[in-house]
Amino acid sequence: MTVKEYLLPRSLDEATGLLAERGPSLLVMAGGTLAMPLINEGISIPERVMGLRHAGLDQLTRSNGTLVIGATTTMTTMCNHTEVPLLREAASNVAGWAIRNMGTVGGNLFAPPPAGDFATALLALDARVKLVSHAGGERLLPLAEFYTGFLTNALQPAELLAEIRVPVPAGRTVFVKFGRRHANTPAVVTVAAYLTMEGGKVRDARIALNAVGPHPIRARRAEASLTGSALTKESIARAASAAAEECQPFTDAIASEWYRRKMAAVYVDRALSQVAA
Amino acid sequence: MASRIINFTLNGREVEALARPMTTLQSLLRDQLGFTATKSGCRQGGCGSCTVLVNGEPMTSCLLPVEDIEGEAVTTLEGLSSPDGLHLVQQAFHEGFAAQCGYCTPGMIVVSKALLDHNPHPSREEIVAALTGNYCRCTGYEPILLAVEDAARRMNGREGA
Amino acid sequence: MSEETYQVVGRALLRRDGLGHVTGKTPFVDDIRFPDLLHLKMVRSPLPHARLKSVDFSQAEKVPGFVRALTHADVPKNMYTILCLIGIGPDEEPVLAVDEVFYKGEPIAAIVAESESAGMEAAAKVRLDMEELPAVLDVEEALKPGAPVIRPWGTNYFPYEGHPCRRVRFGDVEKGFAEADHIVESRYQTSPMEHAPSETTACIAKPEADGRFTVYTNTQALFFTLDNTALILQIPFNRLHFVGGTVGGGFGGKVDVIVEPLATLAAMKTGRPVKYKFTREEEMRVSSTRSAWRMSFKDGVMKDGRIVARKVTSYADSGAYNRHTPYAVTKHAANVAGPYAIPNVWIDAYCVYTNRQPASAMRGFGVTPASFAVEAQMDKIASVVGMDPWEIRFLNAYRNGDTKPHRKIVEDATLIEAMKAAAALTGHELPEHLLAMNSWDRGGSRHG
Repeated sequence: MTVKEYLLPRSLDEATGLLAERGPSLLVMAGGTLAMPLINEGISIPERVMGLRHAGLDQLTRSNGTLVIGATTTMTTMCNHTEVPLLREAASNVAGWAIRNMGTVGGNLFAPPPAGDFATALLALDARVKLVSHAGGERLLPLAEFYTGFLTNALQPAELLAEIRVPVPAGRTVFVKFGRRHANTPAVVTVAAYLTMEGGKVRDARIALNAVGPHPIRARRAEASLTGSALTKESIARAASAAAEECQPFTDAIASEWYRRKMAAVYVDRALSQVAA
Repeated sequence: MASRIINFTLNGREVEALARPMTTLQSLLRDQLGFTATKSGCRQGGCGSCTVLVNGEPMTSCLLPVEDIEGEAVTTLEGLSSPDGLHLVQQAFHEGFAAQCGYCTPGMIVVSKALLDHNPHPSREEIVAALTGNYCRCTGYEPILLAVEDAARRMNGREGA
Repeated sequence: MSEETYQVVGRALLRRDGLGHVTGKTPFVDDIRFPDLLHLKMVRSPLPHARLKSVDFSQAEKVPGFVRALTHADVPKNMYTILCLIGIGPDEEPVLAVDEVFYKGEPIAAIVAESESAGMEAAAKVRLDMEELPAVLDVEEALKPGAPVIRPWGTNYFPYEGHPCRRVRFGDVEKGFAEADHIVESRYQTSPMEHAPSETTACIAKPEADGRFTVYTNTQALFFTLDNTALILQIPFNRLHFVGGTVGGGFGGKVDVIVEPLATLAAMKTGRPVKYKFTREEEMRVSSTRSAWRMSFKDGVMKDGRIVARKVTSYADSGAYNRHTPYAVTKHAANVAGPYAIPNVWIDAYCVYTNRQPASAMRGFGVTPASFAVEAQMDKIASVVGMDPWEIRFLNAYRNGDTKPHRKIVEDATLIEAMKAAAALTGHELPEHLLAMNSWDRGGSRHG
């Protein structure tokens, strides 16, 4: 039951080549924070594994108003990155110090609910993911389209997630996470919001929620209810109520569906009130 | 795939170890090299009792294949004390009764040392934030936090409590 | 002898194991190495209640590193109960399941292998033929007529001298209720609580050349576990040498006889040292917990705040087996009236079996859940009567010489003194008439 082969490619090209060669049975991991617990306990018994830690995918650059985040950039790197406060806050709300040193931005997109808080911030910023394959080149996909369902995504066989592109936000952002503990805790609900204002009214609202759906979701009806309105107690309450209604929370060991839905309303309200202040 | 020879630095000394694919650093340290100070509490990266430093940064060794740290510098609790005596963090923990059963202690001390190396004057909030990944079931955490504050004072040249 | 001459009392002495802890030199069970060590992995029931028809090892045996399997047939005395050593019977728990399983996680067969991963793989390949049976998962459901009976003596409760529960009868509660100005009724429910020690349950059993076995273990109960192991293996006690006392967190979670009998049996059968260590999942899902309690209170209270009658019906969820719960229920019955002088008390405390994880000892088990309910009830009473919660407690606190409901005379009562100290520490000013009270005279207590 021990792994027979552990591959450590040194470049994206080598990685996609190995993936094409070895096929879909090759388990791909980066920081190991999601895959290793399953391997350690014999829940996942892969024969072949590819680790991306040293494949050079951890570059963080900026180009023309877009932040380009390599898929294996660690949470710690994002915590120390000051340009996009929303991403810094989201990263610092993920687990504890050691896990942040190991867990990656790309890996967060594959984290089962209620994990995925960093991806939630990316969703609020309309991030796009770059998927690369050895034969087929590359494609850019909006993050919202990357998620296709509970534990399913748009990654094709032989494709790797190589980088995430985030337009650097110009408006106001907020990140609020509610967990059973103050830190190092899975979410009951997480809210990441990005609003651009014009003439005292909301021109564009992006509200992303985590732990209240099969993956991080955008609360589109809540967003629509705010567009063109001023940020008042009433408009915020309306948006919070819409968000609670449209989300699809679940019951797990952390919280019940009932409680998550209630808290979705409370925390969307708190997040938007913070933006308004 | 056969076992491979992995070279890295452990507590300042060169190590050459033979390891099967994806042997974790935790397993290599404890089962092969006999460095048992680093503990095994969950193998999920959740409890922090397996925390070591890789190039001075805390990492949970239960989630770390040894191939990933080839050529890097690993520090464990065993590397903290010297022939001259205990590291100041160890002293502060011992004199501050910051250990009861002792199982979380190696992880706590290693992370505390890393914190003080990065930030010699941490606030209480910063100490708490640094240690959130390390679980203790016995002390209620307060003696540990006080010990880290005490260690900071000692390291900055002021007498401890 | 004056205080200045004390060498230990009143001094902060550094722990004698402190240096070991801060240097990582303290040897925990898992730190002990033997070159020919074998690993034991357990095959467990995936169902809460089922008939076990057969166990097929044929695929498991093919795993490289598989050494052997152990079933109930290999265990010399398979049925035991932990407290048999203090005269509590009957033997009702199997070391390894025979033909029926009663909780999800119950041990069915042990796989012994050359490595932990071989053991895990082989255990995963054991095939179980099971027929699911209806499960009881609630204490009150378990006691209803027609509920599936899961204990061999024909009931889902532990019998206390022929009665279905521990009973306390003191005075006449119905008379008390009739006289009372207020009746205050509430139901309280606590959850099972897992100790979650940093170090999981573990032992290594090693055969010695002279025919004895050295068992390195993190049990909290070395002699208790040694004796039970010897009885299960049907060997003289002096063939076992238990080495331990270094426990990476116990809290009552390591007082049951969990890993030692099978590790020792495996060492006997293979002639090699065998380690049996719980994974974190086993520690959380399978190992014993503090039991959940359901407690119904009915109190008769006078308008001046005196509690004149208390009736409590409690159900402890023991899970599938006894362990320490019959003892917990006895302690509970002795304490659930609270540290208060109540002239009429009726307590029925049941030890109930369900198809859940067996409960056992944990930090004041039986009593701490009772305290939660008692004190929540006192606050409710204060609210109903319109009195200050401090005052309600000072008034009703028992004093030295009072008779407790189970007939013990109160000696060295200190509730009033403790409350005064707590008030002082929190800066809460108590009125004079409460400060004038104490535990050794009746001044202020309305009870005769």
